[in-house]
Amino acid sequence: MKHYELAVKFYKQQGPRHDKALWSIRQKRDKAIKEVPEWERLRQQASEIKDYVIENLQQLINKFIANAKKEGIEVIFAKDANEHNKTVLKYLKDINAKKVVKSKSMLTEECGLNEFLKKKGIEVIDTDLGERIVQLRGEKPSHIVLPAIHTTKEDVAEILGETNTNPTYLTRKMRELLRKEFLSANAGISGANFLVADKGWAVVCTNEGNADLGALLPPLHIISVGIEKIIPNMEDLGVFLRMLARNATGQKITTYTSILGKKTNGKRIIILVDNGRFERLNSKFKETLKCIRCSACLTTCPVFRRSGGHAYRYIIPGPIGSLLAPLSDKEEYADLPFACTLCASCETVCPVKIPFSKQLIKMREYVTKENLAFKLMETSLHSPNAFKIFSIILRLTPKLLLKKAVKEWSKYKALPEIPKSRFIQ
Amino acid sequence: MNIALHVPCYINELNPEIARKTLLILRHFGLNVSVPKEQTCCGQPFINSGYKTSLPNRFEEIFKDFDYIVSPSSSCVSTVRAQNLSVSNKTFELCEFLHDIVQIKAIAKNYPKTIVLHNSCHSLRHLLEGMPSELNIPYFNKVKAVLGSNIKEADRDECCGFGGIFSLKEGFISYVMGRNKLDDLKNKGDVITGVDYSCLFHLKSIAEKDGDNIEIKHISEILYESLER
Repeated sequence: MKHYELAVKFYKQQGPRHDKALWSIRQKRDKAIKEVPEWERLRQQASEIKDYVIENLQQLINKFIANAKKEGIEVIFAKDANEHNKTVLKYLKDINAKKVVKSKSMLTEECGLNEFLKKKGIEVIDTDLGERIVQLRGEKPSHIVLPAIHTTKEDVAEILGETNTNPTYLTRKMRELLRKEFLSANAGISGANFLVADKGWAVVCTNEGNADLGALLPPLHIISVGIEKIIPNMEDLGVFLRMLARNATGQKITTYTSILGKKTNGKRIIILVDNGRFERLNSKFKETLKCIRCSACLTTCPVFRRSGGHAYRYIIPGPIGSLLAPLSDKEEYADLPFACTLCASCETVCPVKIPFSKQLIKMREYVTKENLAFKLMETSLHSPNAFKIFSIILRLTPKLLLKKAVKEWSKYKALPEIPKSRFIQ
Repeated sequence: MNIALHVPCYINELNPEIARKTLLILRHFGLNVSVPKEQTCCGQPFINSGYKTSLPNRFEEIFKDFDYIVSPSSSCVSTVRAQNLSVSNKTFELCEFLHDIVQIKAIAKNYPKTIVLHNSCHSLRHLLEGMPSELNIPYFNKVKAVLGSNIKEADRDECCGFGGIFSLKEGFISYVMGRNKLDDLKNKGDVITGVDYSCLFHLKSIAEKDGDNIEIKHISEILYESLER
């Protein structure tokens, strides 16, 4: 099923709930960014830092690897998802790991790590509350920061076998269950929000401290991260940390912001993953590499709020997902750049100023095949006389036929009346 | 000052009165306005549908010798601006032109009905004719200023769900967004207006199908009526 079909299904089941929940987060975000008078200057600065990063990526990767080694962290480069998964497996096998606690990482979702490790007999426990909920439901996250936003407290009670639907009660219950997993896991896997090139450090932002438990308790900690997450230095980190949580959820900063260097009670490794990123760097979609995954473009998108994230069928939904998904499978995701009104709320909310409208139009061009009808119409519009003929045909066509020609429109709306005469005859 | 009136193709077909009234408004202020007869379409429907087109170059060719090009459609103006043509920076949406160049305000201040302004996305976010809620900049709204005081706006400045090709591909979500927008606007005043007739005929089509009794008028109609009084 395509986006427009899944969207109908989702909205008919959810009603306005999902839209309202996300709009209230958008409002919290607006309030939080208005407390920072220099917000628009920060956006400009963040955008320029990211431009610098994508122009100097190889050099920054080299610098990061050298400094991480000095720090005592092993860094492995993985060119694709398969190489990434095999590397993770190798390190887990080395310590004969049976159970892994994982905190939120969109990259491991991108690589299909959970399924891969499951097949190899290793149990993966997602430890982010929202991710654990979708894992227990046998689903994928529907939002990159709020993975279970499509569920209700009743849904959560149901998967936990509880009758009490109080959110605080359910959260505590989940914490109890997860604490046992943390204590018995052989390794922790997490993503990273930023890698600081001139220090060799990884920065992980969470609200639940689950990444920290996974990083600190087990003897092995693996960080899986995309190469574009590198930033030059700690001053740049300051810029992003002021923006990330404010833009994502309206918090000043995430509850836990951990800067991870050498692991003192075991081993920490970082897997730097390419998986098509270098190729994207040399394409007209390179600006998507500026993304810091704050998720504000999803939350603000009026289509996303009504269709839900699963309608996009890709691990990253919403506006940024509509730019990334077709690059992974052009045929399957050709509908996504059109699941958009070009309202530009995404680019206006984006902390690194990704030019979404221009990129989405380029993506529409990328997925669109030549079409004779459009070609004919385009040609005719070069001549006012041919245009006139089109206009006469439009007025002679029976309304029923017109309705059929625009059936997605006429299912829900009346057709506008077409007046007899035009302004320019 | 030589001014050209751009007549958006969909306005020429669906509501030619908007073009006529825009022309009369500009002439009311003593401006020298002509209407190039050979104009057709700026290319927006093709560009936004993912097709290559040379229509923007044709637009440039037709309009290049004018000092200003004024259009009663912010989505057409956005398209022309985004193409980086020699005419890009002298092409204006009607209210933007009245505000920035003619410098006239509060034309509809004595309008007998309460006006509810729908800020279209192309006006608000692409042309920045007002402050979109996403930004941390001081409040302003040029369209509102041209209309006058006591103009109502929607609670949410989000998209109405038209989106051109979007409305033909995602009929249901387009409808829901339009329905939500109508509900947000309709109890705030007597007449809904905006600078983009595309948003407005989408909202009208929903109002008609759902049986909402509500007046929806393009801004040129309100400005023209106000000048006539």
